[in-house]
Order: sequence, then structure tokens, then C-alpha cells
Amino acid sequence: MTPTKQRAIVSALIGLGLVIVGFFGVRTFHAFRDFRTHRPPPPFDNKQQPETDVDLIRDWMTIPFIAKMYHVPPPVLFDALGISLKGNQEKNLKQLNDEYFPETSGYVETKVKETVLQNMPPAMPTLPSTPTMPSVPVP
Amino acid sequence: MSDFLLTQIINNGAPIIGAIVFISALGAPFPCTLILVAAGAFSRQGILPWHTTALIGLSSVVVGDSLSYAMGHYARGPIQRRFGQSEKWLKAEAFFNRWGGMSIFLTRFLITGIAVPVNLIAGTSSITFRRFFLYDLTGEAVWIFGYGGLGYLFGTQWEAVSEFLSNMSGLSLGLLILGAGLWLGVRRWQSIEEKKHDAREAQP
Repeated sequence: MTPTKQRAIVSALIGLGLVIVGFFGVRTFHAFRDFRTHRPPPPFDNKQQPETDVDLIRDWMTIPFIAKMYHVPPPVLFDALGISLKGNQEKNLKQLNDEYFPETSGYVETKVKETVLQNMPPAMPTLPSTPTMPSVPVP
Repeated sequence: MSDFLLTQIINNGAPIIGAIVFISALGAPFPCTLILVAAGAFSRQGILPWHTTALIGLSSVVVGDSLSYAMGHYARGPIQRRFGQSEKWLKAEAFFNRWGGMSIFLTRFLITGIAVPVNLIAGTSSITFRRFFLYDLTGEAVWIFGYGGLGYLFGTQWEAVSEFLSNMSGLSLGLLILGAGLWLGVRRWQSIEEKKHDAREAQP
């Protein structure tokens, strides 16, 4: 290999490496920052507790999946949308929107979020992990 | 594509994950990190059984990797006839024989972008299938249980984990390319310096 070719390969590798490191470095930093600002993972002892944050609903999710995630019966969600449960259980929110409400973008997702909020079971009260002492001394 | 695959996973379960990782092991650019972290989260939510999903995922990806190793293995004859006697090929083969196991292991979960080329190179090199299988199975187990485990641990917040891991993998690849460039650069510089030194000594 000629010295010119060698120099070109070395320069190309260093240049490409720097570009990739720069690009993914910035993205990794932002992802790490976002990741740290998230709330801590749910504890394992109450894994059957329903999710309560409706902002986690995405348009790739199906109605039965959302129903299971938020402990809301699927017929309630289908009724709110005014569409039949039959034949629509495996369609995601985007597909349902494109099929039944093509003129209103994002309608199904918004409606499902509203319905979930209205029909979610009340959150279970969580007990404090350590017993607290009464602030006033007991006579 | 990710959205389509995620919908298929929640509708059809573990076999779809098996199919995705199998096809991906043959070179199709599927977002497997995202799929695995999501699968862990779906297991936590009770959508997928974690043990069956992990078993199907692990066996599918190992079969896919073995097939791409076999492709390299069957191309070994023509490649050796063409390059087998060249000094550079022998050097590259010796290098891969020394570091191949570690390369196979690390590219399963850390620098996943070059896993398929590594499988093909492993097939064309003199690394035995048994050795390849051992490193592959160990690395893929770390991938499946590590990434899936993070999804399981973080539950519905798996998207943030997946975003971080995907970018981390790209960063590792960039660091590898940069490291290779710097290493070659230093070697080239040393070789030039040696030649200059020899030339100075040869002068009367």
C-alpha cells in the first residue's frame, strides 16, 4: 500500500470516528440526562398496580394492551370511540384513527387518554415503608 | 418500522421476537435493542412470559448467528484460494484467532452494529464452530437478559432506557473506529520514524 493510501485510510478512520463519536456522544448525553429526570422504576412488590400516567400511551398500542396497562375494561374504551370491539382488537391506535377518523389526526389517542383518565381504578394507598413516630408525646 | 414491530409483538407475543432477532442476526437492520428492552417491559406488565420469551429470543438469535457463521465458512474456500497466501491475510487471520473470541462476545451486546460482519469473518477464519458457539451464546445471553432485564426493571419507562442504550451502542462503534484510526496512525508514524532512523544509521 502506498504511503498516500495509508494516510488517507488513517485520516478517514479518525474523521469518521470523530463524527460518529460526536453525533452519538451528544445523543447519549441527552438520553442520559432525560433518563435521570425520569421517575424511579416502580417497586417490584406492587407490580400488579395499574399505570396511572396517560402520557405513556403511544399510537402503536392496541386497545386491549392499554386496557391491561391501566386496568380499564376494553369495551369501555371501544364504546368511548364508538367503534366495535370485534375485528379491531389487534389494530393499533394509529390504524384505528386512519380507518375510522381519517379527517381528525390523533383523535383516537386523545380520546383513549381521556377515557382512561375517567375510568382508571382509584390508586391504592401506599403504606409508609417505616413506621413514623407520633409528633406529640402520648401521655 | 419500530411502531409496526411493537404492535406485532403485543398481538403475537414471543414468536415475533424470535423472528425479528433471527432475521436481524442474518443482517436485516431491525431495531433490536428497542425490541428487547420493550420485551422486558411487556414481561413486567404480564403481556409476555419472560422465561419463554427469553428462551425463544436466545435460541433464535444463536441459530441466526450460526447461519451467518456458516455463510462465512462456506465462502472460506474461494477466499482462501484468492487471498490465502498473502501476508496481510495471514496477519489478519492470526489477529482474529487471537482476539476473535473477545470480538464475538463484545459485538453481541456492546457494539451490535458490526455483529454480522464479525460472524462472517469468524466463519472464514480458522475459529472452530464450537468456539464461536460458546462466545456467541455467552454474549447473546448477556444481550437478552441484560437488555431485557433493564426493560423489566424499568417497566413502562423502558423508552428512556432503550434510547440511552441505542445511542451508547453507536458511541461504542464510533470509539472503536476512532481507536482503530489512532492505532494505525501511531503504527504508521512509528514505521516512518524507524525508516528515518535506519536511513540515518546507514549514512557513513
